[in-house]
Amino acid sequence: MDKVRNELLQGTLDLLILKALSAAELHGWDISKRIAIVSNERLSLKQGSLYPALHRLESRGWIEAEWGVSDAGRSAKFYRITRRGRKELEVETAHWLSFAEAMSSVLRME
Amino acid sequence: MNAERLRWLKTKCRRLFRRDQQEKALDAELQFHLDHLVAQFRADGISERDARLAAQREFGAEASAYREEIRDTWRPPELADLWRSLRFAMRSLARSPGFTVLAVITLALGVGVNTAMFSALNSIILRPLPYRDTAQLEEIFRTTAQEPRGKISVADYVDLQSQMDGYGAIAAFTRADASLAEPGQPAEFVESVRISANLFDLLGVPPQVGRDFQAGEVREGSDHVLIISSRCWQKRFGGASDIIGRVVRINGQPNEIIGVLPPTFNDWRFLGWVDVFRPLGLTGEESADRKPQLLQLIGRRAGTSAQAAGYIARFGERLAKDFPADNAGSTWETVSLEEDKVGNSPKSVFGMLIGLSGFVLIIACSNLANLLLARTMARAREFAVRSALGASRRQLLRPLVVESLVLALAGGVGAVLVAMWATDWLSAASTGDNGEAVPFMLDWRVLAWAFVASLGTAVAFGLAPALFAMRLDLNGTLKSGARGATAGRGHQRFRSVLIGGQFALAMILLTGAGLFIRGLDDLNNRRAGWQSDQMIRGTILLPAATYPGATEINAFQRLALERLRALPGVASASVSYTMPFLGFAGARRYVVEGREIPKAGQEPTADINGVSPRYFETVGTRLLAGRVFDAHDTPDAPRVFIISETMARGLFGKENALGHRLARVGGDTMEWGQIVGVAADTRSIFPDPHPVTFQLYQPMAQEPRPYNEIAVRTAGATSAALVDAIRTTMTALNPDLPVRDLQPADRRIARRNYQLGVLSNMLNGFAVLGLALASLGIYGVIARTMRNAPVSLRFGSRSVRGFGISLTWFNGEGEAGRGRCGGGFARSFWDHALAELALPKHAAQRSASVGRGHAFAHRGRARRLLFAGAPRGTDQPDRCLARGVD
Repeated sequence: MDKVRNELLQGTLDLLILKALSAAELHGWDISKRIAIVSNERLSLKQGSLYPALHRLESRGWIEAEWGVSDAGRSAKFYRITRRGRKELEVETAHWLSFAEAMSSVLRME
Repeated sequence: MNAERLRWLKTKCRRLFRRDQQEKALDAELQFHLDHLVAQFRADGISERDARLAAQREFGAEASAYREEIRDTWRPPELADLWRSLRFAMRSLARSPGFTVLAVITLALGVGVNTAMFSALNSIILRPLPYRDTAQLEEIFRTTAQEPRGKISVADYVDLQSQMDGYGAIAAFTRADASLAEPGQPAEFVESVRISANLFDLLGVPPQVGRDFQAGEVREGSDHVLIISSRCWQKRFGGASDIIGRVVRINGQPNEIIGVLPPTFNDWRFLGWVDVFRPLGLTGEESADRKPQLLQLIGRRAGTSAQAAGYIARFGERLAKDFPADNAGSTWETVSLEEDKVGNSPKSVFGMLIGLSGFVLIIACSNLANLLLARTMARAREFAVRSALGASRRQLLRPLVVESLVLALAGGVGAVLVAMWATDWLSAASTGDNGEAVPFMLDWRVLAWAFVASLGTAVAFGLAPALFAMRLDLNGTLKSGARGATAGRGHQRFRSVLIGGQFALAMILLTGAGLFIRGLDDLNNRRAGWQSDQMIRGTILLPAATYPGATEINAFQRLALERLRALPGVASASVSYTMPFLGFAGARRYVVEGREIPKAGQEPTADINGVSPRYFETVGTRLLAGRVFDAHDTPDAPRVFIISETMARGLFGKENALGHRLARVGGDTMEWGQIVGVAADTRSIFPDPHPVTFQLYQPMAQEPRPYNEIAVRTAGATSAALVDAIRTTMTALNPDLPVRDLQPADRRIARRNYQLGVLSNMLNGFAVLGLALASLGIYGVIARTMRNAPVSLRFGSRSVRGFGISLTWFNGEGEAGRGRCGGGFARSFWDHALAELALPKHAAQRSASVGRGHAFAHRGRARRLLFAGAPRGTDQPDRCLARGVD
């Protein structure tokens, strides 16, 4: 499958990160891996946009970070979604799904 | 607040304050990612070196860019923005230094004057008295129809003390000025208060050094002990450490200093500037006397204020019933000391001053609004472009608000400087003859006032024009290509109202200042029945210990006058109870011989003065008929009187008053005295109207009093050398007899009204400041808009018409176009204010014409001020101004 174009729609990056973190605490590398795997390698997050986004989300209080030990035994910064982050994720997911549904129904119009 | 939020806040703080730590963490995080990238490339079978290079390539190129982006997220966005707007505001203010300086000066002056007034209010009225639990302290008065706040007799005080279980504690005091002399030195006059032994204990301020009075020391004989104020200790004794136990002479008697009060007790608001406290020194005889009301009482109540008042009132009723001869018709009342500490008159004066300084502030505000408006209009294109590019309302307003904040801050600092300078001046100007300075403190309350006032002013008046900017017609402004805005009618009207309003306020201030100056001049230049030039006067108090009776006093006075008259340069000298410009020494009732005696209390009343021979020639009061008193009018000679012109006319009409006989009512026997002369009426320099118009003189020798006014008429001009010579002469007679306030009479007169002088200077300051600000405002606005000729001309004529209209509006007589601001509102306002201050009534009545005159004079000045300063080539608006006003 082709990679989707790299410029993600505005606002979707935050949503992807929140979604990735909703299941587990992850560090930056794992977040990008997980998104790549789940999207069948169609979405890839470059570090250039990933880290600013992580720090932005942290300063908004949607995620929080803590230093821990990675699987390989190295110290790494793990991110975790907060309660406010979950709420945001819920709202934004609903928003996005209804938008996508609307878009696709328009685009599939005969 | 949950744990999550707390952690978030902690993160925020770390990001703000622990930057180096954050940087390291970021490095580690990115390194971690890089290592994983390398590992991934390695897994694809690339050599270690190539993998590392590839990872660097993918990672590195834009690393610094997104690092910066990351750092941006650490900074709170508001702060980052604020800093940017602040820099922007500074730059844009610096680009127009003229505007900035004008705005800051306007704010500093407007708010500064207001702050100075607040500072005075704060130190005089708001600051609590320096005693313990001042809310419990009360003054106790004996109220009669004549004296709403009467004093209390010693016997009544003794009774109250023995029956006061329900009330709390009571202390008594009475003013008794004294002379103080250190061994081997001439005496000086000191402010002295005699007190009951428990006063300091009751107030909760014990002496700082030494001990308090003991109960036994209140009795006469054991009362030769002193407690001095900290001020007296520093000023007179240089703060000597061995002060306790020193013996000084008080009224010629040796007294031991046993204590010094702490500096906090220097507060003048309750007792005044007291130097020396002495025990009451009561004789057994005095303690049983209900006649002379000598004492003032202060109490610390135990119960509620209502209970205390009830207790005191019931005590008064009992007294009135038990001793009807002395106490019938009197009631007793309590007044909270904290409420009463400065009395009502300063409160109303301060109310007026704060109000008037508020006028100045309003003028400053409208100035600022005008300046900002003009500035906003000049930048209309900039706003239009920015909003066309998508700037939100918030983004458009923000720089304006921030600019206002910067101005407010600078203005606030300026205001504090102005206030400091103004209070220094006020303090110096209101310092009394003996260094009685009112301290003005610049405490946090005053600083807060200055900054809140300038902040409020700047933000409120910065926003008004900004809101006008919001309503700009975007399209029109962009298309017109004009540098300024083609301003709408709305803001033109707004500007007219502002300028008109501020000029109207300035006119009110000017009118008031004019009235005040006239009133004060009237007072200071009043020479009604006396001549104060070429006169030196002073006060002596002959202590009863040395001069117990008439014989001693008469002998001393005769000797003193002989010596004074012998001084070179002295034309004549006299002693009297009082000086005509200071009023008379109380009123007495008289009956005329051979006429029906009126009902008790209905007899003709006259102000009295006891005078020595040559008094009339010394003070310059004309004798209209008969003779003056001479050396033959001794205590043994028949009684004689001289009455005033009005009294003679009032009692005898066209009949000759000379030869008639009068007697004073109230004595044990009627002692008739013959009228031997008629003198011209005199009036004191004091503004308060006096109900008694009859004046009566009696020979000092026939009823000598210990309190004497010495007057010396000089042959030439008064001089300091002569003042010294008089002082030396008096000291030689008795070293324990200081002459108080010995100085030329004219200076004394000016000093007596100096507080009015300070007030008048302040009003003048307000007026000049108000006018200057208003002129500055118009100048600033015209100068700004003048670059764009057609607009400015229209603007000029409009605002000037507004000015004329506003004047008309204040006129009250409704003659359109003939703005006379002396009328209507301003007049009634000032009549009211002058009545409040009890300035001479005739001055107030003249207010209309005077006010009008001043308004016109100052209007001319305003115009001159305006156009001397206006940019060249503005004769067009001048014509407009003329049209608008006349």
